[in-house]
Amino acid sequence: MAWQKQILRVNLTTGVCAIEPLNMEWAESYLGSRGLGSKYLFEEMDPAADALSAENKIIFATGPLTGTMASTGGRYTVVTKGALTGAIACSNSGGKFGGELKMAGYDMLIIEGESEKPVYLHIEDEKVEICDASEIWGKTVWETEDLLAAKYRDPLMKFAGIGQAGETLCRYACIVNDKHRAAGRSGVGAVMGAKKIKTIAVRGSIGVRSSDPKAFYKIVNEVNARMDDREGMSREGTLAMIDVTNGFGSLPTNNNRSVRFEGANKLNPEAMHTPNENGHTNFVTNGACFGCTIGCGRICKIDPTHFSVKDRPEYHGASGGLEYETAYALGSACGVDDIDAATFAGFICNEYGMDPISLGGTIAAAMELYDIGVIDDKVTGGIKLEFGSAEALCQIAELTGKGEGFGVDIAMGSKRLCEKYGHPDLSMTVKGQEFAAYDGRSMQGMGLAYATSNRGACHLRADPYEHDFETTEIAGKAENVRDSQHDVAFLDSSGLCLFPGGCGWGLEDYRTLVDAACDSDWTDERLKLTGERIWVLEKLFNLKAGLGKKDDTLPKRILEEPADVGTGKGLVCRLDEMLPEYYELCGWDADGVPTSETLTRLGLN
Amino acid sequence: MKISITLFGGLRQYLPAGSGYNNCDIEVDEGVSLQTLLAKIPIPDGKPFLVMHNDTRITPEQYAELNIASDDQVVLLPPIKGG
Repeated sequence: MAWQKQILRVNLTTGVCAIEPLNMEWAESYLGSRGLGSKYLFEEMDPAADALSAENKIIFATGPLTGTMASTGGRYTVVTKGALTGAIACSNSGGKFGGELKMAGYDMLIIEGESEKPVYLHIEDEKVEICDASEIWGKTVWETEDLLAAKYRDPLMKFAGIGQAGETLCRYACIVNDKHRAAGRSGVGAVMGAKKIKTIAVRGSIGVRSSDPKAFYKIVNEVNARMDDREGMSREGTLAMIDVTNGFGSLPTNNNRSVRFEGANKLNPEAMHTPNENGHTNFVTNGACFGCTIGCGRICKIDPTHFSVKDRPEYHGASGGLEYETAYALGSACGVDDIDAATFAGFICNEYGMDPISLGGTIAAAMELYDIGVIDDKVTGGIKLEFGSAEALCQIAELTGKGEGFGVDIAMGSKRLCEKYGHPDLSMTVKGQEFAAYDGRSMQGMGLAYATSNRGACHLRADPYEHDFETTEIAGKAENVRDSQHDVAFLDSSGLCLFPGGCGWGLEDYRTLVDAACDSDWTDERLKLTGERIWVLEKLFNLKAGLGKKDDTLPKRILEEPADVGTGKGLVCRLDEMLPEYYELCGWDADGVPTSETLTRLGLN
Repeated sequence: MKISITLFGGLRQYLPAGSGYNNCDIEVDEGVSLQTLLAKIPIPDGKPFLVMHNDTRITPEQYAELNIASDDQVVLLPPIKGG
């Protein structure tokens, strides 16, 4: 089977690194990655502990298919208590780090305690050492990777670490691997910063083997042949969605004041691929993660004459460019239609280690506070924080990454920022986490998915897209959201990416690969039950952390202010009607607490 | 008369040769129905899409009875996917 059957545990307080056997009983019940990492976290820490305390643990978990020859089998999940949300955080990333960790012989890395001084972790198969990080503390993600790769004379070494945003405990600091892939959401980078661990450097030479490689290879090829609708994703990436949601009327704009952005056509694939007035083209090529046969990543360059990078040659090279979520957060959410400015702000997120969705969402909230006169130039340090200002976006992004000036306020996240300035209703968040690029009024199912997401507002905890595309009527939304939450929990636990699901694969294809990799009988029924078990376990973590029904809600704007245009024109999100039905379908009581019958059915008593 | 029609996302591949990035003008008779207009776009059977007419969602049952005027806005959207 494709599990390595061992985990690496690193205690930063004691300095002890130990290799332990993987709990295979748990692996059979929670599969891997998100599910298995959540099980370990749930069993090993008090969910009520402060996210930034030594009691919190941070787990890097691969799935059984990570590091195998299965397409997109490069994913890993960072599981911890989120610094942004106080809820369970399960931040998934691609790139090549996950595969490398698995090939070093580990299904999972558990980091506990906290170090007195900055350190980094160096892993080469069974050789593990905690190293002094005084020379890289204070460096960017990019500088850190370059310095350590040079130190070890190993250009193939892989890293997952934090920039200055994580060190200064920015609430939505992320963990960046391979320079521009990230476990982005919920503030997992701040947890690393609090533990004073800068990065994890890993090289693996053990490889990943299935029990019957020839049979596995045959199945991988058969399933891969069914990924027959990937050309568009490869050519334009997720960015292609910006025209669609804008036309539909679900592109959050100006802190969700509107659901359509006039400047969307300046951020779309055509804008990315067409030379500007200086003859510069933003798009360079596409990029793929470990083992991926899609290649949705955008590799882009900023026009060197653009104000953000003029006379700054360090930003003239190609790096991770705009995807749909970043084009929304650093574009329409702030009313900015300057593709180079948004690309620059995205570079800053990768360099300093910040979640661009939360950064953009927080800047958008600050722009609204500025617009209504709650904050002024004195507060912002002279920055004209107006909706649409590309200059303000770029300035604030850098200040936040460095933890300077008004960036200190922006680093708190939208919820804390809006509370500080007396307007909590202007924070477009759920459980303290900023919205993704869909509006819960024209997409009612997405509204329910945001409200009930265990990690705060998120577009990848459920799959309400098709249902929402078909109708704004709420009949069937609760069932669709519940079922897809379970399916996604399973898929996230496999070590594969979700995107093949939009390129031709169905649930059956994922199940076939898991079944082939795990040498046990993974039926449809078991798949569904495993997904539900993971979802409910995350819910139990949150309940113990003090979150409850009061947190399964949406901002007043989405519940009371009708959408202005598009398919949802005149609608608010009917969460009050959907939520009770959702709880009942889940087998939870009226307060959103799983009943004892539900827990017994899932083996969670 | 000429009708301007816009196709987003993956539907763009069905625009006639010589079209713009995501739209084209189609020559039709006055008072043409939406159904007749759509028949001029070679979208394969079974390919899901949504029609927005003047920013209003149109169901397939309405295609035959909805007449299009020259300054109307007709937009075809493929399904939304997570990204």
